Amino acid sequence: MPGRRILITGVSNFWGSRLAARLAEDPGVDRVIGLDTRPPGRLLRARITFIEADLRTPELGAHLRAAAVDTLVHNDISQFPEPGRAARDLHDINVVGTLRLLAAAAALPGLRTVVVRSAAAIYGSEPSAPSFITEDQARRFPLRTRFQRDVGELERLVEGFARRAPAVTCTVLRLQPVVGPTLDTPITRMLRVPVVPTVLGFDPRIQLLDEDDSIAALRCAVVHPVDGPVNVAASEPISLSRALKRTRRRSVPIAHPIYGQVAGALVRAGGLPPLSEDILRYLRYGRTVDTTRMSEELGFTPLRTTLAALERAAGIAPGVPG
Amino acid sequence: MSGVLALPREAAGAVAAARRAIGGGYREDAWGYAPQFARDVEPLLDLLYDHWWRVSADGVDHVPARGGVLIAANHAGVLPWDASMIATAIRRRHGAARHPRFLVLDWAFELPWASVAIRRFGGVPASQHDALRLLREGHVVMVFPEGEKGTGKAWSERYHLERFGRGGFIELALRAGVPIVPTAVVGSEEIYPMIARAPSALARLVGAPYLPITPTFPLLGPFGAIPLPSRWRITFAPAVDLRPHGPEAADDRALVLDLSERIRETIQEQLEATLVQRRGAFL
Repeated sequence: MPGRRILITGVSNFWGSRLAARLAEDPGVDRVIGLDTRPPGRLLRARITFIEADLRTPELGAHLRAAAVDTLVHNDISQFPEPGRAARDLHDINVVGTLRLLAAAAALPGLRTVVVRSAAAIYGSEPSAPSFITEDQARRFPLRTRFQRDVGELERLVEGFARRAPAVTCTVLRLQPVVGPTLDTPITRMLRVPVVPTVLGFDPRIQLLDEDDSIAALRCAVVHPVDGPVNVAASEPISLSRALKRTRRRSVPIAHPIYGQVAGALVRAGGLPPLSEDILRYLRYGRTVDTTRMSEELGFTPLRTTLAALERAAGIAPGVPG
Repeated sequence: MSGVLALPREAAGAVAAARRAIGGGYREDAWGYAPQFARDVEPLLDLLYDHWWRVSADGVDHVPARGGVLIAANHAGVLPWDASMIATAIRRRHGAARHPRFLVLDWAFELPWASVAIRRFGGVPASQHDALRLLREGHVVMVFPEGEKGTGKAWSERYHLERFGRGGFIELALRAGVPIVPTAVVGSEEIYPMIARAPSALARLVGAPYLPITPTFPLLGPFGAIPLPSRWRITFAPAVDLRPHGPEAADDRALVLDLSERIRETIQEQLEATLVQRRGAFL
């Protein structure tokens, strides 16, 4: 039996490069093809076939047909602006990129598996959300933020594709915020600032995912895909106040009506990373998801708990429980 | 009069614990329940239980010592004082390990401080899925089937049970295969005597479903949130075992509504029986 041929979009970003390196080592994988506008690192480039292209180019279909892949990992979804990806382009990259990719994928006869790196941010942060949000609750609350709407829209596109292509198994992984020592996002930068502004009178429950576990979850979905959305998160959600205590961060509570202005001033002063609306709501209401589908159907169990992931990301050796 | 003399010492303990409670950083379970927080507010709740509301509880033994169980009670007031007093009654009988969890109306979690305290004390946003999970984990779960309608009752309608929604709590008990303990709380509906409702536009402004106007609120500002010292009596009725119906019965609408009505009647009758016996609301 020939090995698998896997195409990874956004291969040069954090998840793309690590997943490609892992899959390239796998004896069951014949070839890993990476697609991105930015070239991957030299080491990785030697081990995979790299196509320098934008998801939105008209040649995308030709590239995909030539690659003749059976598996597509859609990983070119950005929550935060990066070098070469301005905030105003993100919607276009996320939604139009997905649209073009799936249109091209529909013409691939050998395609069997699609894995999408989506985000638990689709649920937003709601005061009245269940303590353990299940996958069917994605549209229970209005999609309030720009990224939430992007994720909602691109997941609808994937749903539509899955309906029209019953032979293809489409797994949508909804990752809780990923943190770790090497990942650099506004969320991980927030964990390293000395004083964290919190919302006065609120102590949200938070749940995260370790960076290594996020890569392992993607790999697990490639190897063992299941249909539909799956929440991916570390076990043992904790409250923000406890998270700050355990990572020895100081916090300064700020009343909600002036929180935006104060945080904005701190961002401009360079004391804080830019805070998107998602992060602001997360710091007020938090978000915790149900992971039954992840453990029972996807067969995946993260190695690190929320607290372990946090301590690792904040550069703190796990201490005594307390 | 010994009760009054004992007050200062207990009050000092309550204040010390309350100061710790505001600090945060508690160890919590996955639901956000912090056992140490519950222990820290114990002195305060005991104070309210013994001296402020002088609660007497009957039939606490009807709450089984282990396993999932649903407690359905009448509900009053914006803040879940009734839940805290039921919890105290159960703790005194079964110990802190049997700390009940309770389902809270959605909008309570928008309130600063109150939302944090409610969650640390075992409150969770009302959701069928989560409630089922709590019952399967073997917890005592309190529900107030009157829901929002119960909290917004006028003074003249007190102890008159509202309709029990769609009977969601019956479905829950059937699916989880747990008994229901109908519980009548007398006294809780006099702690915030509502004279009128503020215009709903005003309530929407602060995100609450309604704003009560009581003799002390909004006249005394935040002090209006201090509940009146009515005398309370909590009666736990014998547990209703729904297991013979089987979990499939949860989809039988007629049966669910019928069972829901029966529980409602049990609580209503107990409320009336207690009301007849008592001498006065505040004596």
